[in-house]
Amino acid sequence: MPYPVFKDNREFIKALEVNNDLVTIQQEVDWDLELGAIVRRVCEKKSASPYFKKIKDYPGFEALGAPLATYKRLAIAMGMNPDASVPEISNEYVRRTTQEPVHPILVEKKKAPCKENIWLNKDADLLKLPGPMVHDGDGGRYLATWHFVVSKDPETASINWGMYRQMVFDEKTMVGPVLPFSDMGKMFYGKYVPKNKPMPFATVIGCDPLSGVAACAPSPIPEDQFAGMLMGRPVELVKCETCDLQVPAHAEIIIEGEVLPNIKIEEAPFGEYTGYRTSPREPRTVYRIKAITFRNNPIMTVSNMGIPTDEGQLLRSFSLGLEMRKLLESQGIPITGVYMLPESTHHLVVVGVKPAYSGIASQIANLVFGSKLSPWFTMVVVVDHETDIYSKDDVIHALCTKCHPSRGIRKYEQAPGTPLYPFADPEERKWSRGSQVLFDCTFPLDWPESDLPIKVSFNNVYPKEVREKVLKNWKSYGFKD
Amino acid sequence: MASKEYDTFILSDLSGVPEDQEMEMILRDLTPTDRRYKYRSFYASAIVSKSESKYPDLLWVRLGRGQLQEKPWSIKIIKEVNKFG
Ligand SMILES: Cc1cc2nc3c(=O)[nH]c(=O)nc-3n(C[C@H](O)[C@H](O)[C@H](O)COP(=O)(O)O)c2cc1C
Repeated sequence: MPYPVFKDNREFIKALEVNNDLVTIQQEVDWDLELGAIVRRVCEKKSASPYFKKIKDYPGFEALGAPLATYKRLAIAMGMNPDASVPEISNEYVRRTTQEPVHPILVEKKKAPCKENIWLNKDADLLKLPGPMVHDGDGGRYLATWHFVVSKDPETASINWGMYRQMVFDEKTMVGPVLPFSDMGKMFYGKYVPKNKPMPFATVIGCDPLSGVAACAPSPIPEDQFAGMLMGRPVELVKCETCDLQVPAHAEIIIEGEVLPNIKIEEAPFGEYTGYRTSPREPRTVYRIKAITFRNNPIMTVSNMGIPTDEGQLLRSFSLGLEMRKLLESQGIPITGVYMLPESTHHLVVVGVKPAYSGIASQIANLVFGSKLSPWFTMVVVVDHETDIYSKDDVIHALCTKCHPSRGIRKYEQAPGTPLYPFADPEERKWSRGSQVLFDCTFPLDWPESDLPIKVSFNNVYPKEVREKVLKNWKSYGFKD
Repeated sequence: MASKEYDTFILSDLSGVPEDQEMEMILRDLTPTDRRYKYRSFYASAIVSKSESKYPDLLWVRLGRGQLQEKPWSIKIIKEVNKFG
């Protein structure tokens, strides 16, 4: 069943406007820091998305900042009520993404707006696109901050869309980190590099919102099908100009080329999702470009990673948490929900569970730390079914009162990590080494009932008649809330 | 003509950077004639000095996490080096 979703970024921009979640900036904005500073402030203040109509030095180009940095925007992108709650959006996402995969369809080039302009050979020049200098001190201009890279497995022909940042080095070259445990990392380093074969790629900038959500979701389903599941209809793809990859026909800008197997050049530093500039400037994966195609008056999408909340934090938290939920449910663990806090920069996940047997918190931690998702987070907080996993107040209260400071905490050492962890030492960052920790906030089952602490709350320690009387008279006592 | 300006990231101890001898480094152009090419990076063979006035162009120095050093150095670019064949 198709959902009321958007076929492109332009329809999404209109929907943001209708929902009072867009500020259209007519005055000229400089791509050199000013644009980035506006997007940063928008993320920190949770303001409406800025839509830049005029970018200095780049007439004809436009940009949308912070396209999905709030749950409201995610709800709009999913075609839901903008005020839908996080559990409602989560349930809908899980419902759509546990149905049959929806395969993409191929459209003719003349029906693909992303082919309205085609730059080949010398014309294909990255500096003719308004890649912003996002933060002062970054290693370069980041053209690709809210985008995805398409690649194909040379053995299975399976398609991968993934969000891997790309810094412009020169007219023809981009560079960025492709972490070895990512799908593209496993494919490129495992299957192309050993044969010294360049890997065709296509970078998609300014796609429809749900294709972006799919690209940064850590799902095992190929993202071109996953996006279709989220939309309830096939994504329309079109063939590239210089290779046999296919890209969303309605995207704003496509950059085609090859990832080089035999050279690395320096990339970074960059303001990252943790809210710090952490990962070192070091030799990273090189993309050489062959063609750029784009719509008339293309609209770039720009994310500005930094302190919460940007779309990377929000959507990665959302999809990482929900993939964990699927995993735990598939194993029959009696969880009541999983919520990863965006403010934790997707480092902390809260799992609610009915403590049906001893050791359940460790079992949960073993599963999620043992999964493919694990390099991206470090802390699992397991709470009982009486704790509201979506309430930071409730979770902090459980953490500080129910988690035993030695018995309740279990460390997992020698785990995979990333170079992006601010707390890691330089050697750990270099080798992507991490560690993880479980906070068990459930009371042990073997305590006698008479020794069990009783939660002292309005709902828990008053008889029903008293609660009802108080609620009924609340306003007449003089309270306004 | 006003001198051109570049910057570079130095990842090692600044005191160990050799002066007055040719070395390969990555530079970013901060003053291109067409502003769209600002921050274009390139490999160059160049000579640097920590004195701001010794060589024709200015070189701003940043540390590994982007920290800009207060005083610029100077640089003479011998040639751009093409790494991509
Ligand atoms: C804005 C943004 C930027 C990202 N940049 C990178 C990156 O540069 N390198 C990387 O390996 N992962 C990056 N990630 C994480 C990947 O997108 C993420 O792992 C995604 O799920 C890719 O799919 P995979 O895990 O299936 O490979 C980024 C995520 C977001 C949201």
